[in-house]
Amino acid sequence: MSPPLLIALRFLGARKRAMLMSLAGIVFGVAFFVVTQAQTAGFESYFIKTILGVNGMVRVEDRIQGGRVLSAADGSAFAIAVEGSVKYIPGVQFPNKVAEALAGFPEVTASSPVIRGNATLLANFREYDVKPHGIELTTFVAVSDLESQIIDGSLAAFAENPYGLVVGARVARRMNLQVGESVLLDGAGEPQRFRVNAIFETGIDQVDRERVYLHLAACRPLLNKPTGASFVQINLADPALAPALAPRIQQAIGHSTMPWQEREKTWLQVFSVLRVSSALTISTIIFISGLGMFNTLVMIVVDKTREIAILRSMGYTRDDISRIFMYQGGIVVALGVVLGCVAAAAGTWGLSKIPIRIRGIFASDHFVVLWDPWHYVAAAGIAVVVVLVASYFPARRAARIEPGSIIRGSSS
Amino acid sequence: MSLLRVENLHRWLGEGETRAHALRGVSFEIESGRTYAIAGHSGSGKSTLLYLLGLLDVPDEGRIWIGDQETSRLDDEARTAVRNARLGFVFQFHFLLKEFTALENVMLPMRKLGRLSEPDMRAKAAELLGAVGLGDKVRRLGNQLSGGEQQRVAIARALANDPALILADEPTGNLDQANADRVFALLRDLAHTRGQALLMVSHNPELAARCDHVLHMKDGRLLD
Ligand SMILES: Nc1ncnc2c1ncn2[C@@H]1O[C@H](COP(=O)(O)OP(=O)(O)OP(=O)(O)O)[C@@H](O)[C@H]1O
Ligand SMILES: [Mg+2]
Repeated sequence: MSPPLLIALRFLGARKRAMLMSLAGIVFGVAFFVVTQAQTAGFESYFIKTILGVNGMVRVEDRIQGGRVLSAADGSAFAIAVEGSVKYIPGVQFPNKVAEALAGFPEVTASSPVIRGNATLLANFREYDVKPHGIELTTFVAVSDLESQIIDGSLAAFAENPYGLVVGARVARRMNLQVGESVLLDGAGEPQRFRVNAIFETGIDQVDRERVYLHLAACRPLLNKPTGASFVQINLADPALAPALAPRIQQAIGHSTMPWQEREKTWLQVFSVLRVSSALTISTIIFISGLGMFNTLVMIVVDKTREIAILRSMGYTRDDISRIFMYQGGIVVALGVVLGCVAAAAGTWGLSKIPIRIRGIFASDHFVVLWDPWHYVAAAGIAVVVVLVASYFPARRAARIEPGSIIRGSSS
Repeated sequence: MSLLRVENLHRWLGEGETRAHALRGVSFEIESGRTYAIAGHSGSGKSTLLYLLGLLDVPDEGRIWIGDQETSRLDDEARTAVRNARLGFVFQFHFLLKEFTALENVMLPMRKLGRLSEPDMRAKAAELLGAVGLGDKVRRLGNQLSGGEQQRVAIARALANDPALILADEPTGNLDQANADRVFALLRDLAHTRGQALLMVSHNPELAARCDHVLHMKDGRLLD
């Protein structure tokens, strides 16, 4: 063991209480930091998972028509649509062509056309406005999590029934609908009778409250949309690819194409603000422990001035003296980070077991946490930087002690 | 060649109004294996001279050779290394580290020098503590010893790296007569048996007289 390290350990022992306080602060700071990040990131990622499972990663929607397109050069793909002259034609007129074009993008793993409209649901002598979604079940389950959203009934029954209906959980509750019940839907076309085959719950209020799924073929006459689709929902190998891919798809097929990151921008911003603000708040615990550490080390320097002078006289260099104090900080922060990370893991695990019923933007019956090593790295990084800065100044002060004048001052 | 040689040392202390010419051209030599006392009135510059010789301070003028090395222009790190390997200090206050045992205090200079293994350092520290009569108290912490005992630990510590020169500034200043005699005798005998030079500032004329040489200081100068 290097002599400065040995001396650092003994000096630490001399201020055990103050050092334990700083240590406790760092442990709590690191642990709280990680736990709050695990929780906010947990909710965020669960929200993303939910929203992707409902509305998909990318949607191809209205066709962009006309507009003068300024090409940077002849044949160049780099072009600017002139604002104002662009017109949007609602929906996707030729979903098959879109599907063909999408085949040229290897990142696209599945796509599914959907038609959407408004209708009134009539059952049990009550009326209720819903948004029917006409889907191709086989492809739609590949671009959504509909299968895992079913809470009653089954998709298999729906698949076999051309006039089957899958209703949102809150629609079902509001209308007091049971699986197997027969209902009437009245849309832009002729009213039709359907049978409820399944009930789904996404956790997203707005969806559960108004959406019903039916087969594309049955939906056409109901909404009076004999051809085309309202949008094509796309699934990608990796959700992170969406922002880069969407503009390329838009460019290739001339339809407005929006990645989920843009579609859900508001919520994503809410989550990231929450995460940053909790990180800042919790970091203050670490900062305050750093201040405590600084104080304690300054006290030790003052307290040990003569000892430092004698160490210097017997051959310890300024660097050695500085190291004695940096090591003290280092030992405390190392211990603090290790204990803090253990406490953080325990706290995160404990939190994930706490029951809490959440509905609104997703459905969960307990706290949602995300295990991310980067949270630990960030907490450790903040603690290390704070403590090393807090140790640096006392260390520098100790190193500057002039042994001659201290010893001279101490003798008569 | 002499162990230590100084030539025309000058040192001003303080700033502005309090600025004082504490050393006004001091020159002398020290031989190995001999003991020297510096005597003189309070304020005559004895401590100032000792700190310069101990490389704890830098002269404003003049030169200091330790062996064949001119040390007064060395940087802080190099002076520190010379202190570690070639000089031993005993001050009026012992300055033991109270978190360390007597044995560990004596080992501190050896650890820095790093020439001996851990067991060898322990053995040597124990031997030195034995030589100052504290063989049975090696495990005591610094503050579990009497004043005289602490000062003897400080002497053992000064001898830890077999310094060529031991510099002592009123090493017996805080001790009663009996302890003062004992500590001085120890220092002198150890220096003699180990062939080390001892330069000691003392107000005690009787102790000074027991050294091989007495240097008298007055107003920053050595009297012949
Ligand atoms: N920091 C300082 N500023 C100004 N003058 C100083 C300072 N330190 C010491 N002096 C002066 O330098 C002179 C020499 O001081 P020094 O400590 O060497 O004396 P000394 O011979 O060791 O005295 P004593 O026997 O009392 O220890 C004294 O006149 C003292 O007043
Ligand atoms: Mg003095």
